[in-house]
Amino acid sequence: MATLERPGTSGSLKFLTALVPLFCGLLCAFLSNIPVSLLGGVVPPPLLALVPVYYWCLVRPDLMTPAAALTVGFAEDVLSGGPPGVWTLAFVLTYALVARQRDSFAGLSGLAAVLGFAAAALVACATAWLTVAALHGHLPPLAPILGELAMTVLFYIPTAYVIGLLHHRLVGASRGDI
Amino acid sequence: MANAWKIARKSNAQLPLVIVIALAVVLVLLGKAQSGLFDQARMRVTDWMAPVLMKVRAPVQGFDRWMGSVSEIFSVYEQNLKLKEENARLRQWRNVAIVLQGRVGRYQTLLHAVPAPQLNAVLARVIGRASRPFLQTMVLDAGRGNQVLPGEAVVDARGMIGRIYLAGQRTSWVILLTDINSRIPVTVAPSSAKSAAGMAQGNIQAMMTGDNTGQPALEMVSRLVTLHAGDQVVSSGDGGLLPPGLPIGTVVPDGHDGWRVSLLADPASSQDVEVLNFSKPPEPLPPTAQLPAEAAGLKPMEPPPPPVTAAPTAPAPVAAKPKPVAAAPEAASGEDVDR
Repeated sequence: MATLERPGTSGSLKFLTALVPLFCGLLCAFLSNIPVSLLGGVVPPPLLALVPVYYWCLVRPDLMTPAAALTVGFAEDVLSGGPPGVWTLAFVLTYALVARQRDSFAGLSGLAAVLGFAAAALVACATAWLTVAALHGHLPPLAPILGELAMTVLFYIPTAYVIGLLHHRLVGASRGDI
Repeated sequence: MANAWKIARKSNAQLPLVIVIALAVVLVLLGKAQSGLFDQARMRVTDWMAPVLMKVRAPVQGFDRWMGSVSEIFSVYEQNLKLKEENARLRQWRNVAIVLQGRVGRYQTLLHAVPAPQLNAVLARVIGRASRPFLQTMVLDAGRGNQVLPGEAVVDARGMIGRIYLAGQRTSWVILLTDINSRIPVTVAPSSAKSAAGMAQGNIQAMMTGDNTGQPALEMVSRLVTLHAGDQVVSSGDGGLLPPGLPIGTVVPDGHDGWRVSLLADPASSQDVEVLNFSKPPEPLPPTAQLPAEAAGLKPMEPPPPPVTAAPTAPAPVAAKPKPVAAAPEAASGEDVDR
């Protein structure tokens, strides 16, 4: 897949820009899992790492590859402290769904775009919830995962805005596929 | 937003996707079987983050306090009245407790009761909290370097909060009693004469299981027992992992013919906690003078005389003589024993 060659970009710089989506995913996983709980832990932290996975899966799937989604999910698992592999599986399955329906998701705009992300986040949270249920042998309570889903959707707009800026300034679109 | 996104139409990632999904499933299974691999990585990251967490602790604590004060400012008057009433009631109970403590002390002296094993405690500060859907935890600023080990109980001034889950070199993670992975053997003790009458069989053994709600559930060992709201829940010490008698909470009905525990401690507001190092030591044999026969005033049997040798080259072993006990005159008197 040919990528956009900007004037004056060297090979190493191109390599670094290609890693921006992965680094953003890892950074978001780190930020959302800093063990600092505001409001006495009533509000769960958002699943920030899902935003770069979703965004670049739509925009530059050549940079946000399935392996990158797996890495970000693994980082989320290690940092969140939950049962290992739960978020890895959730991120990879969400990636698979979004990649399969990329045209439908990318065609959304405005509120519909937020709802599109909410659908993807619902898939991720449902996968994680069902995996934990299977691991523990009983259904975990729904309220905490629904709270996390709501916070993730709420934080999607500012996070996607920042990621959009990074994308336009650092990464750029794929020339050959536009 | 779609106009701003110039999307790639094709991605040749179908084959890796299948492999990656398989890898993720393997990771879940591996995590279930060998969670220690992940725990090492977690502790390294937390140890590395510890200085940052200590720095951000103060502003976060201030923000939490400010938010709490905003929400509570409307109920200050009612809370003040309630606290005054509770304070008066607790003063009465304090007097009762002092009298009972003295009485228990006298009984222990009379019976030469073996004292409870001493608990070493490590004072630690809470530097982080996380309330995730599948894990409720707090991070302490004490680790293996401070003799904190996994499994040890964590308490604050009010009661038990949880157990050490992972211990790094400088930090440790606490799994809260409310967490879905928490299971603690507990003892339910009657809180009143009415409850005591219902519990004809004495204290009740139960298992307290967290489910990520604020009040862990009680699973009875026996289905034939009756609980009452307000009964006291303490750690039972079964299994030897936790010290017995740690205050945990009170029994409350859950509204569905079940029972839950209203915890005494509040992990959301605890700032300084104690990690109890409970390793049950083997109880030392009491000296001869403390045996019940001696305490009852009976003279212990004289040990047999050592065998006489023709030419002893070494001093003969000295038979252990009963040591005098400080409280012996009081305890050994027949009057006290008969009382």
